[in-house]
Amino acid sequence: MKHLTDEELVDLYYGERTEEPGGPGHSGDRSDERQHIASCVDCRDAFAALKRDLDAVPEIEPPAQAADYGQVVWQSIAPQLTRYEPRRFEWPRLSAGMRLGVGLGFAAACALLVAGGFFAGSLWESKHPQQVAARNPSTAAGSNTGAQAQPRVVVVVLSDHLDRSERFLVELKHADLDNSGTGTPLRDEARSLLAANRLCRKNVAPDDDPALSTALDHLDRLLAEAANSPGRLNGAALARLQEEMNGDGLLFEVRVLRSRSTDQISAGSDRPQGGTI
Amino acid sequence: MGRNDHDAIRAVLSGDKDAYGALVTRHSQTLLRVAYRITGNEADAEDVVQEAFLSGYRRLETFESKSSFGTWIYRIAVNCALDKVHGRKKYDEVRIAGHYDPGEEEIQIADGAAGPERIALSGEIGALELLALRSLTVTERTAFILRHMEGCTSAEIATVLGIDSNGAKQAVYRAVHKLRRRLAPLRVGV
Repeated sequence: MKHLTDEELVDLYYGERTEEPGGPGHSGDRSDERQHIASCVDCRDAFAALKRDLDAVPEIEPPAQAADYGQVVWQSIAPQLTRYEPRRFEWPRLSAGMRLGVGLGFAAACALLVAGGFFAGSLWESKHPQQVAARNPSTAAGSNTGAQAQPRVVVVVLSDHLDRSERFLVELKHADLDNSGTGTPLRDEARSLLAANRLCRKNVAPDDDPALSTALDHLDRLLAEAANSPGRLNGAALARLQEEMNGDGLLFEVRVLRSRSTDQISAGSDRPQGGTI
Repeated sequence: MGRNDHDAIRAVLSGDKDAYGALVTRHSQTLLRVAYRITGNEADAEDVVQEAFLSGYRRLETFESKSSFGTWIYRIAVNCALDKVHGRKKYDEVRIAGHYDPGEEEIQIADGAAGPERIALSGEIGALELLALRSLTVTERTAFILRHMEGCTSAEIATVLGIDSNGAKQAVYRAVHKLRRRLAPLRVGV
């Protein structure tokens, strides 16, 4: 170890702790310096000289005061003091950081409360489906018609399909039988609807919703005929399709079903996400 | 003790002015001692004690209860004492340009009338040492007094003087160095 500097000797004299972080050999108590002084004659002499000089510096003591000096001071300043007005209750003084922390904590608590409410609600619903159905008449009506809980996306797709089908049927009903150009777009639309209709039929079991299932069957036949009729979809073919559509009351059926599915969607949008219809 | 201080402060802030009397009585001697050591004058020291307690009363609402009232009022007293020394030096001190350090106040007491040899010969060794102490700058002397006589740490000195801890250490080092250099002839004589 090198010889101690004057500054280190002064720190050692006053017992100033080192600033190194704690750890082996760095306890802050200057044990290294003490050990060095014990073994180094030069540093020991230097420290002894410093100690002798500093020990000789006299303490500056004020002249002795009377025992009641404090009272004397108080008597001399008391007349100059104005009484503090009693303070009303105040919230503790908080630093900016503490205020921020309290604010964040409050916000977090609110968020936790809301999240907990949603979670508890969804948990309760999943455990009490009958009570939920009883409190939701629109859903209950759906159940009465045999529609079991269906994924929301299926209901939306079905509603869209019924809407398109209704428009197709309306166009078919009012098709100009003398206009040869009417058949082609109707056939294209029929082909498009046919694929969608089959998809919907797959997702609707007859036992779940007989009315819907029947309507989709009727629609399937009509669409298949419109899409696959040989040659051009001329006036005669359109007349035959109109007759078939009117005979089944298909347009009315589709309108009723489309209206029902729209109601189901509206009822579903009023409920929390993730629920069932 | 500390708990009593806080109770008294609460009472004062609630309108009980006389509760401050207990604080004054309790801390007056400590303040007088440090004020005297810094000012070197009994009358000034007594003024400092009164000013410190008056200032402390007026600022009592800013006192943070997590700290010690004793430390807080001590700091006020040191600052009052330094103000007193600064004010006095405007009248009876001269600047020694050869030792001017722009980083700190380098106003020193003119003590040419009392040379070390003369005082040593008269046997007033203690007086010479006190004189050597007075030859330090205000910052050095205050840092040395707080370190050597008041037992303050560098951090405490730094807080009182409003400088960083390293600055406080350096002030003590310079004070010790100057004192020893100034007292060296006396040691040889002894």
